[in-house]
Amino acid sequence: MFGQGLIKGLAITLQELFTKKVTVQYPEQRCYIAPRFHGEFTFEESKCIICGMCVNACPNKVIEIESEKADKKKLLTGYKMNIQYCLFCGLCVESCPRDAIHFSQNFEMAKYHSKSIPLIMVNKTPEQIAEEKARIIAEAAKAAEARAKAEAATGAAKPEARGDAKKEPPKAGAKPAGGKSDRTEG
Amino acid sequence: MVENIFTSIAGSLRSVIDAAGAPLLLNDISVVLLKVVAILVYILVSALWLVYMERKICAYIQARIGPNRVGPMGLLQTAADIGKLIAKEIIIPRAADKVVFLLMPVLIFVPVLLLFAVVPFGKDMIAVDLNIGLFYFFSIASLSTIIFWAGGWASANKYALIGSMRAVSQMLSYEIPMILALLGVVMMTGSMKMSEIVNAQQHIWFVFTQPLAFIIYVIAATAETNRTPFDLLEGESEIIAGPFTEYGGMTFAMWFLAEYGNVVLVSALATTAFLGGWLAPFGWTFIPSWVWFFLKLYLMIYVLMWFRWTYPRIRVDQLMNFGWKVLVPLTLANIFVTGVGMYIYRAIGW
Repeated sequence: MFGQGLIKGLAITLQELFTKKVTVQYPEQRCYIAPRFHGEFTFEESKCIICGMCVNACPNKVIEIESEKADKKKLLTGYKMNIQYCLFCGLCVESCPRDAIHFSQNFEMAKYHSKSIPLIMVNKTPEQIAEEKARIIAEAAKAAEARAKAEAATGAAKPEARGDAKKEPPKAGAKPAGGKSDRTEG
Repeated sequence: MVENIFTSIAGSLRSVIDAAGAPLLLNDISVVLLKVVAILVYILVSALWLVYMERKICAYIQARIGPNRVGPMGLLQTAADIGKLIAKEIIIPRAADKVVFLLMPVLIFVPVLLLFAVVPFGKDMIAVDLNIGLFYFFSIASLSTIIFWAGGWASANKYALIGSMRAVSQMLSYEIPMILALLGVVMMTGSMKMSEIVNAQQHIWFVFTQPLAFIIYVIAATAETNRTPFDLLEGESEIIAGPFTEYGGMTFAMWFLAEYGNVVLVSALATTAFLGGWLAPFGWTFIPSWVWFFLKLYLMIYVLMWFRWTYPRIRVDQLMNFGWKVLVPLTLANIFVTGVGMYIYRAIGW
């Protein structure tokens, strides 16, 4: 019959009028976000070993790292992500050998000014850098002193013991790095 | 008491002025002014409400919620929109005919306001109960065609011109089946007076005795108000916004609100001519007559909105073919059948 489709259409829209509405009232309600969602990045400074793998992995040259040498160690002085160029591929997250960089579930990265778009994870002032450098050098000196003391106590009997002692300092140096990050965050 | 709330307001105003010893002319003028103000307020409030209603119905049909932020349930959304439109600059194209360009959005409200004079809002609630009410309605309603056309022409814009040409052809073509459909009602009533048309439906509404005319009227009314599926003159995917292309800010809002004014008018006419106007169905007279009128009016408006969010736009040639080759012959057949039927009924002596 002519016009059957018209009535069918009206019936469908009338039915839809009473269906459950699917709108999520956004700021109050939120959609489910998958655990592996590629959102804003989080960075754990204490885990970072300044290897530069993330910088190399990034296809868009988003990540900028600044570091300085303190004693024999590297000190992270700046970690900036120019997020406006980021395509959220996750290669930096994958490449990190220490799991220092992660995706979070935060997707609200809109900013009022374009200059506030880059994610600045670490940005130390010259004073902070000098302070930390001094601390690391002092710690290194302390460790060297302790080593010398231990060496003196054991009497420097065996040549193998010397080899062990040489391996130890990097381990001892890795631990203070945790304390360092607490200071910068505070 | 509720039944006569509006008539008693007018009556008390009349008696107050009478008591003050004012001449009869002043009395009449003040009552007419009261009616005009009441109608103006109703047009503006209903336009605001209908934009909100349209958006809500659209949203609900699409399984969304619609405006719900500005004011309770989003009721102040349209007021906020109008506030924003008032604040906007009115840009006049360099090549435009400045006077006509700015005059037309104002004039578009004139036929709307004039037509509300004969709308029977309730028992004894017609501003002017003309004995040629229906005739008046159509003659004034066709005025808006030329205003659409002049507005589009004055814009000096190709799309506006195409849109306004479409407006003329469409509105003229569909006025004919609209009038012919209502002729059946006029034949059965024997009058063009709005109150008599309503009173003739005491026993049975004309929607039951003239179903074909009602369907044709609704289709033609949709085309007359330029709403989907007949929104060819606006046709945003083809000609941007038709005659309104160059209008911005409040000038655009005037066109937009006038469209809703027209929606109210055609629905009011459908209510009056086919749905029994202010008459209560099932003898439920405990509900005031004007409430019944508004219930039926908004039901008709809902139907028009329902159409809008169900059907896609039709093509220009389909529109013309449908109007001239289907609707006009059908209405003529309807008039013929009505005439013959009335003759037979009279011969039987019902």
